[in-house]
Amino acid sequence: MADSGASPAVSLDSNKGWNRSNSGFVLLVGAVSILIASPWILPEFMQTILIRACLYAVVAITVDLLWGYTGILTFGQAAFFGIGAYATGLVFTHIGFSPTMALFALLAGIAVSMLIASLVGILSFYPGATPLYATVLSLVLPIVVTQVIFSGGTFTGSSSGLTGYESFNLSIAGWLWLCGGFLLMCTVLARRFVQSDTGRLLIAIRENESRCDYLGINTSRIKILLLVCLSAVSSVAGFLYACYGMVVAPEMAGFQFGTEILIWVALGGRGTILGPVIGTLLIDVSSAYLSGDFPFVWKLFLGLSFVIVIVVMPKGLLPAFIQLVRRGKFTPGPSQQGRLQVAGERRLDGLASQGNLALSVKGVQRRFGSLRVLKDVNFVARHGELLSLVGPNGAGKTTLMRCISDGRERSDGEIFLNDHPIGKLSPFECVKLGIGRKFQTANVFHDLTVFDALAVARTRLDRPSVWERTRVISLPLPAMSIVQTTGLDALLQMPCRLLSHGQKQALELAMVLALEPNILLLDEPTAGLTKPERTEIGRTLTKLAEEHKMCVVLIEHDLDFVCDISSRVIVLHQGEIVLDGSVDEVVHSELVRDIYSGSFGMPEDPADNVKEAS
Amino acid sequence: MSMLFDILSTSGILFIVSCGLLLIFGVMKIINFAHGGFMTLGGYVPLLITQMDWNPWLSLPLAFVMGLAFGAIVEVLIVKPLHSRPLDAILATWGLGIIIGQIITLIFGRGVQFAQSPLEGTVSLAGTDYSLYRLALVGFALVIGLSIGAILNGTRLGLITRAVTMNESLARALGVNSALVRLSSFAIGAGLACLAGTLITPLSSLDPNMGVPWLTNAFMLAMISGTSLVSLAIACTVLGAAQVLVSVYVSPILGSLTIVVLGALALRIRPQGFARG
Repeated sequence: MADSGASPAVSLDSNKGWNRSNSGFVLLVGAVSILIASPWILPEFMQTILIRACLYAVVAITVDLLWGYTGILTFGQAAFFGIGAYATGLVFTHIGFSPTMALFALLAGIAVSMLIASLVGILSFYPGATPLYATVLSLVLPIVVTQVIFSGGTFTGSSSGLTGYESFNLSIAGWLWLCGGFLLMCTVLARRFVQSDTGRLLIAIRENESRCDYLGINTSRIKILLLVCLSAVSSVAGFLYACYGMVVAPEMAGFQFGTEILIWVALGGRGTILGPVIGTLLIDVSSAYLSGDFPFVWKLFLGLSFVIVIVVMPKGLLPAFIQLVRRGKFTPGPSQQGRLQVAGERRLDGLASQGNLALSVKGVQRRFGSLRVLKDVNFVARHGELLSLVGPNGAGKTTLMRCISDGRERSDGEIFLNDHPIGKLSPFECVKLGIGRKFQTANVFHDLTVFDALAVARTRLDRPSVWERTRVISLPLPAMSIVQTTGLDALLQMPCRLLSHGQKQALELAMVLALEPNILLLDEPTAGLTKPERTEIGRTLTKLAEEHKMCVVLIEHDLDFVCDISSRVIVLHQGEIVLDGSVDEVVHSELVRDIYSGSFGMPEDPADNVKEAS
Repeated sequence: MSMLFDILSTSGILFIVSCGLLLIFGVMKIINFAHGGFMTLGGYVPLLITQMDWNPWLSLPLAFVMGLAFGAIVEVLIVKPLHSRPLDAILATWGLGIIIGQIITLIFGRGVQFAQSPLEGTVSLAGTDYSLYRLALVGFALVIGLSIGAILNGTRLGLITRAVTMNESLARALGVNSALVRLSSFAIGAGLACLAGTLITPLSSLDPNMGVPWLTNAFMLAMISGTSLVSLAIACTVLGAAQVLVSVYVSPILGSLTIVVLGALALRIRPQGFARG
């Protein structure tokens, strides 16, 4: 289509990257020239359709940023488009048209949209909300807005809308240049944005929100801010629509329109910026031509292709097309050149500064209905200690770890991290108190590269830019040494999903260490690793405790490993601490032998390799 | 008095409309956006029956069986491949709704049509005249609810369906054919949607998008009920009553929003819905 946008012309350090941005620049110049020339080369009917399609495409970009990039399926952007349009229609009808009033209408539309978006955002993105709930709310919003418009009587024109008001007097060509230019600008800005640090963060949220949470990232706030900003953009598109069309109707804010945008985005290719733009322009223009001749068949065809694309090509048509052209070598995202450096030593201050006690667990209980998984657990741990939690399956070890890293988990009792009570803090707030948690199964971002995953892990300490893409990541020494000893530094551009199991485990550990925690929770860090890899991890952990004075809490089934590295062992059985002492005490305890007997015994004989199956 | 009947019949209608959606949501954890389309499909059955001059009661079993068959085909072709992508399944079923609407438009035209009601007239109860058919719908709601309950609690299919609802991976590990459960639940859910469409047709007119306005209310009711038919019945009664009261005392437009707004707020307070346990 005519004005399909372009990529920002940033000079990158690699040759390939330069070519790429060069082609983006050519695309931009091409799009601008076509836009400028279009009044002379396109028939007038098509121009009038294109003006509308350009504004729809802007809304499609906002939907794509929410859905394609951040994973929030939304029907609600239509409502903000409608609000922008109605603000304009209402002001021009009831106060009258003047350039000042137009500015007022524009700002009023933006303000109302942003206000409503923040309310909806706060409601839908509270910590722990399900993605389905956000979708439900985004569905309710256009329905409510439409009904409010209906109930407005003559003020809002009810079901027939507002029409016949005065507006800017521009030629068709002028409107096309204005709206096409607006689309072009939004496309360029959006492409720059998704390639920035923040864009990478959005993908990380889509890929694995809970990992982001445990990396100390306030995902709720990011999603709310994103929604609020994008509501403003949709509102501006609505403003232009109302100025150009000189008519506003309730359908513009409606749920049906919201789903149409989703169809354009899905067909064009969610998770790309150009896809939805091209999709919207193509579909809206063809609809205008074809729906006159084949009204129902055309819509039937659209519905059919929508379903087929969703089922067969979930990424949409543009990515599928590019893949075809490049014969399967399509890698999304910009070419990345990045390197790592060691972060400067910084004194831990504020909340995460070292407390007297690293970790203190007092009377913690966890109940699931009548089932008590943790019954009154009490212990303390100091910095420099390497504490192992052992116990048979179902003893409550992982539950305990969850309670320590997420204040909302426990049913009773209190937990102190660096002497601060965690109360009901959510995981990202606990990270601020100096804790870092590694999950039982390797928990990384599948679609991000190793480099990007490490960059996301640094979000809390090195503020991400909304415009630039960081090419140098500063990692603290422990994280850096993990990356180097496991050879991950040679794989920085590898997508995480292609890493081996051991590499994923190492990457996750490096990500957690990149948070610069002084309390480290590790849930079976050696599960599924080979003997040399285990030894290596063991050495790293002892070093973290001894040299970096971290408090390391470890869940482990491999008792050989536990005995080798721990400075202290806690045995958990049926939700209670049955033993808390040195390695020696545990090894020679009758009680522990009884607990483990039947399934496995304590390693008296080193040849008797006691390893838990799960 | 008439208001009490309004509340009763509204709740009944809501229950009829949303139970098919609930069954699918409970078992498969997806929202079937083609529910509105299935209802429309069922709505056109009485029209055909009227044109053929058959007994209007015949449309009920016919609609159910048609929905059953259609639902099974849709499950295999569209829903099954999207098992691991629930948000995409929602979108695909929405696309399916568009397809159904357009096919009906192509066959029956865009215009509004009317079908013969199996029960005409009013009945005099407690001093007020009330539409016999609306009251009969309360009975239908009870029959449908009790039948689903009986199937779920009395048959082997019901037993494994409940198992899949509670914990699908465990049920599969125990040898339950969860694919069969999904297939049958979707088919029955679609059958119930068609039946609901048939049952509500006499209340209003027929048009190719008649099911869509019902969708959001049904959707909200199913979400807040979680997986339980009893909580669905309670939700329908409470929110149905709220809708009638707001419509009468405040404004009909706000009344039409009551269920979605209250439902959204209720879900904010209890994200897991109001099912027992």
